[in-house]
Amino acid sequence: MKIKEEMKDGVKVIRLHGKVISGPDLMQLKTVFQTAVNNETGNVLLDLGGVSWMDSSGLGVLVSGHTSISRIGGKMAILNATKKIHELFIITKLITIFETFTNEQEAIESLQG
Amino acid sequence: MLKGVILTVPSDERLLETIQVFVEKIGLTAGVDEEEVTSLSIAVMEIVKNGMEHGNGGDPGKTVTISIDAFPGRLQFQVDDCGSWQPDAELGHKPGEGEELISCRGRGVLIARNLARWLDFGLSPQGNTRATLIWPLN
Repeated sequence: MKIKEEMKDGVKVIRLHGKVISGPDLMQLKTVFQTAVNNETGNVLLDLGGVSWMDSSGLGVLVSGHTSISRIGGKMAILNATKKIHELFIITKLITIFETFTNEQEAIESLQG
Repeated sequence: MLKGVILTVPSDERLLETIQVFVEKIGLTAGVDEEEVTSLSIAVMEIVKNGMEHGNGGDPGKTVTISIDAFPGRLQFQVDDCGSWQPDAELGHKPGEGEELISCRGRGVLIARNLARWLDFGLSPQGNTRATLIWPLN
């Protein structure tokens, strides 16, 4: 898994590429979320457009990140989840806690609001 | 037709990606649609991971064995770990509610049950946990 981070209009955009699978890579993703919390980054947009595979441990890290960011008053949304990944959000009902978008600008504007 | 393919691995999560690639290659070889092979590997890997974490307590000295057999119209994966499964009617049948929904854990069997056409838990002849997942082939 590769992780890229950038700030866009005050929103931290985290782009994931590859497989989000249990193991050392997930620790790296946890650290990215923790850093966002420590820096009080605020709102986070997680771009899953490049994610080809994800398991329940990956979802668990996303939930943990969402909870931590919410605790500091921020919001976290999902961008461009593929059909397969979106299906996992539906199965687990996580679709009810994550706002999802297919348009980056709309997502950023929503997080700013 | 694929028969008697067996992979035994230690409970080491660093191997998961390698096993996932193996499961997808086996699925494609057996005739699983390319569009469905990701769902197949997610379902099988949730069971493998479950065996490593819960059945074997993450002990690398304990193994998980994946046995694969193709039959007309279906592909069977049996995943054996060193644990001793206890019947739990609720296991993986319902998504979390309330506080459980935002838990970081406990979604693996739910995902596997929903992606696979058929998944059941039981015991091997030795009394250890055996999960059986069957995937239809066109």
